[in-house]
Amino acid sequence: MIPATAFNLLRYALPEVIVAVTGLAALTVDLAFTQGRRNSVRWAAAGLTACAGCVAAILVLLLRPLPGALADGMLVVTPLTQMVQVVLVAFTILVALLAVNSDFTHHIGEYLGVILFATAGMMVLVSTQNLLVIFASLELLSLSLYILTAFDKRSPRSSEAALKYFLFGGMAASFFLFGISLLYGLSGSIELGEVAAAVTSHPITPLLAVAMVMIVTGFGFKVAAAPFHLWTPDAYQGGPTPSAGLVASSSKIASFFVFAIVMALGLSAEAGALHPSTATWTPLLVIVATLSLVIGNLAALAQTSFRRLLAYSAIGHAGYMLLGILANNANGLRALVYYVITYALATLGAFGVLAALEKEGVDQIRDLAGLARRAPFLSFCLLVFLLSLAGIPPLSGFFGKFYVFSAAYFADSGLLWLVCLAIAMSVVSLYYYLRVLKQVYVRDSEGEPIATPLLTRIVVGFMALLVVAFGCFPGLLLNWIGSALATIPH
Amino acid sequence: MDWIVRYLWLIPVLPAAAAAVIAFLKQGRRRLAATLAIGSLGVSLLLALIAFAHTLAHPALEYQNHNWLQFGAEWIRFGWLLDPLTAVMLVMVTFVGLLIFIYSLGYMAHDQNFTRFFCFLALFAGAMLGVVIANNLLLLFMCWEVVGLTSYLLIGFWFHKPEAAKAAKKAFIVTRIGDLGLFLGMMWLYGLSGTLLFYDGGAGCLEHTAVAAMAAHGVALGLTASSAIGLLIFCGAAGKSGQVPLHVWLPDAMEGPTPVSALIHAATMVAAGVFLVARMYPLMEATTGGGPSSALEVIAWVGAITALLAAFIAVGQNDIKRILAYSTVSQLGYMMLGLAVGGVAVGMFHLITHAFFKALLFLGAGSIIHGCSEEQDIRYMGGLRKLMPVTFATYAIAMLALCGFPLFAGFWSKDEILHSAHLWSISSGPFYLGAVGAFLTAFYMTRQVCYAFFGPRRPAPRTVAKPVHESPPVMTWPLIILSIFAALLGFVGTPAWPWFQSFLEGRALALNFGAFSGGMVSLMVISSVIVIAGIAIGWWLYGSKPITRAEEPDALERVQPQFFRALGQRLYIDEFYDVTVIAFSRLCARAFQWADRWVWNGAVQLVAWCTRMVSHFDSLVDAHAINAGFDGGSTGLAQGGRLISRFQNGRAQNYLRVLGVALVVLALILFWSHAG
Repeated sequence: MIPATAFNLLRYALPEVIVAVTGLAALTVDLAFTQGRRNSVRWAAAGLTACAGCVAAILVLLLRPLPGALADGMLVVTPLTQMVQVVLVAFTILVALLAVNSDFTHHIGEYLGVILFATAGMMVLVSTQNLLVIFASLELLSLSLYILTAFDKRSPRSSEAALKYFLFGGMAASFFLFGISLLYGLSGSIELGEVAAAVTSHPITPLLAVAMVMIVTGFGFKVAAAPFHLWTPDAYQGGPTPSAGLVASSSKIASFFVFAIVMALGLSAEAGALHPSTATWTPLLVIVATLSLVIGNLAALAQTSFRRLLAYSAIGHAGYMLLGILANNANGLRALVYYVITYALATLGAFGVLAALEKEGVDQIRDLAGLARRAPFLSFCLLVFLLSLAGIPPLSGFFGKFYVFSAAYFADSGLLWLVCLAIAMSVVSLYYYLRVLKQVYVRDSEGEPIATPLLTRIVVGFMALLVVAFGCFPGLLLNWIGSALATIPH
Repeated sequence: MDWIVRYLWLIPVLPAAAAAVIAFLKQGRRRLAATLAIGSLGVSLLLALIAFAHTLAHPALEYQNHNWLQFGAEWIRFGWLLDPLTAVMLVMVTFVGLLIFIYSLGYMAHDQNFTRFFCFLALFAGAMLGVVIANNLLLLFMCWEVVGLTSYLLIGFWFHKPEAAKAAKKAFIVTRIGDLGLFLGMMWLYGLSGTLLFYDGGAGCLEHTAVAAMAAHGVALGLTASSAIGLLIFCGAAGKSGQVPLHVWLPDAMEGPTPVSALIHAATMVAAGVFLVARMYPLMEATTGGGPSSALEVIAWVGAITALLAAFIAVGQNDIKRILAYSTVSQLGYMMLGLAVGGVAVGMFHLITHAFFKALLFLGAGSIIHGCSEEQDIRYMGGLRKLMPVTFATYAIAMLALCGFPLFAGFWSKDEILHSAHLWSISSGPFYLGAVGAFLTAFYMTRQVCYAFFGPRRPAPRTVAKPVHESPPVMTWPLIILSIFAALLGFVGTPAWPWFQSFLEGRALALNFGAFSGGMVSLMVISSVIVIAGIAIGWWLYGSKPITRAEEPDALERVQPQFFRALGQRLYIDEFYDVTVIAFSRLCARAFQWADRWVWNGAVQLVAWCTRMVSHFDSLVDAHAINAGFDGGSTGLAQGGRLISRFQNGRAQNYLRVLGVALVVLALILFWSHAG
């Protein structure tokens, strides 16, 4: 046991501290030094500050691996959490770089600051095994995301989406907190291991069932699983593009990771270790996964707005990823982390393309008609992202699905029907992704060629490259996840 | 130079990467595309030479394996290897390929799809080099299929010509039939040995443990598992290398641009099948007792029959490239025969020498076609000896090498095949087939040269005859370089100084003139006599009195019109396939189409209808419930101030209601599922 002194706390939470301080620094740089300059200068200054801080945090994470647990699981640092944190911070850099060329707001320092606070919230979220800290950091994340969604003050849609997001999120959070209090009442603890020991020692009671459902409600809201998905289409459509990208990418990574950790370590038998056995919550998650798969993929078919289509496809993808949690073993967790990272890359990439087209006012799918002639590079990247989301080999989306499906099937062959449903739904999903690509590549348009900033093209191209690379060589990412996972007992 | 093994992957990756870059270039960037393709292959040639030098110093097999994909608990591993066989093939492919790339600069100069052409060529080179260095049958198979794809793309490069499009399809489909066998063999091999890595520290599928186990494992009809797998893999090789009965695609493939015919359908790709057999040789030759395995017996017979049959058909052809195509099929038969009766070194030696002189023949033919305004029929050529002196000289050297005229490259390599066939313990049949084939080879090549280069000029009446001109230096220089090799390359593998054979087999090398003795010399004399007789008869029939008119019947046609016409019609093999295999598959297709239309389509339509209904329902919900509230919200906001009240009356409440209902329902279900 490492004593929870202030010094130790600082030592173990150094990356989070760096990111939070960077948020303040970006704010200070913008407010104190570049006020009154042109927007592009302000974005550059604040953006550089933010990226520098993030790079510093990544370097600290990579160069100083420091596993340990502090203060009854309030801060648990393992190679796995550090790896996920590296990914989260990297995504923050990508989002910040995509935001730099936009002009929806004059509050530049605030915008980047809030993004960094959200990142700090996500980082704490993945490196704790204490329910109360999970709740607090989840709220830090959620509040930041509400603000980010509302940031485009000139657009009524943005405020409306944020308000709906906030109301829905507030209710989900209160259920979640209620669930935590019930669990505390049942077990007398808020540390995941002790909770697990108490709740799995006797058969399920109505109280425990309610508590579990409430916990799942809280996380289901964060990961946009049906039936807790209603806020998603509005937030994706209404929020500024970089904000929606953040909601769709790194927030998903952090939420799914902590969701899996809580379900595996906190609510199933033999706490403290990942193990292959059927958990009591399996029927619950099976329902949620089924609903997400069916509602997400079928509703996406009927969308005419590209962003709403991405939102419903996100709901469908949440269904696939729940299969990884249902596997409830190390294999499943590895598949889930691989899936969520590659999924986040492809989704953020699609939002990056949208960000580049922001001045064109692209919202409807038909606005994309003939894009291949007007912006061939962006169109090609969009092709890579959407085909990866549809799960076409050799792109990374295919292997994500493959690993998740096989993990679920090998862990519990009773899930075979759900795997089959998921495969059928991924066929359905191909249809609506191809509808978008058909507009891009088959339809004609008279529009002029679209000039996109070089930085945006570099960032989007880089993400497309990663999607291809992780698909052709899944070992790059899998080995990293696997070696990080090997340190967790199972 | 040990680093070369570690970086061997660069050799195929460089041209492949060049192809990827060229694919994104605009059509107008001709110079850049050509520079990229030629430059990357040039660097590959350099690396291949370094690798070759490395194997000269360390002939032992070296390999590197890496994890690639994980399936369940198993990693699929791939890797590359470097041994003398690989090194020789690498140098041959990159060197011949580079010359042909340069030649294409001239040949394709007026084609509007120049960049696309170089993209495909570079992709082909990358895939072919991948086949050569692969240390995993799966990786080899993947590169093999890319090679097949590029072959399809390049044969059909002038896709606006219907024959070219048809030939491309035919090539693709016929080779796919062979590849099915290869695929089955690969699966079976994986099932028995548990790995597709060739060499893996004793655990690979070509290493002693696995091969011995498979040789001892009997299957039906007296075949061992190793022979059965070997034969399945040979199916793939037969498809790619145009062995009877899958040879029908290769002559049609001549519809592609001539550099393609030279590179893919003469020197490199068609040799991939021979290379595959050589690579899998430990598996092919494995027996528990002594003597040749049944797989090698079959290969020997197939090779010998191919060698003879294709030589026969070549006699009756009039298209300059088709003659060469059938000659290629025939020579590939010799290579297979050589592999089966004499081992890797014998077959590979002929492969290497053949690559040089056949590439030279094709490039020479290209030069003729280019010079004669796209005329391909030898009856309408004539008299080119004076008009195209460089082409004539180099073509004559290549022709002598192909015939096996004493001291030229083909003499040494073909002689060795015939010698091994003569000593074969099973039967002397292949030897006699091969000997007759050698006679025919000399005969049809003499006929072709007489028609094209001697006699008066006989331009086709239908075309406007432009003056014939010698090709530009960018095309003749590759011819000259290749002709040096065609003449002299044989001396690296003479019986007295078998450097090539000892290099491939890792034996000590000694200069030994004693090898020219007894049976060896008498066989050499016999084969020389055969070749000279073939050339003499050919000259007597076609050269001694010049052919003055294009329309006059062929010398053979006057004697045996029926037989000659059958040869001209390629012995009706295509027609035979039409009424058997293709008719049968048409019948099946019709039956399946009926089932598809009336049985399956109904089911699919039903499912599609259900899906449409569900998605309509969803879209109704989306449009009327969610979007209506949304629009209502926006309108309210636009009017100002009443947002909150709107929300309290509108959708947000219902969102939250859904949350509450979901909570209750889920809790009940969870509890009941455990209580019940």
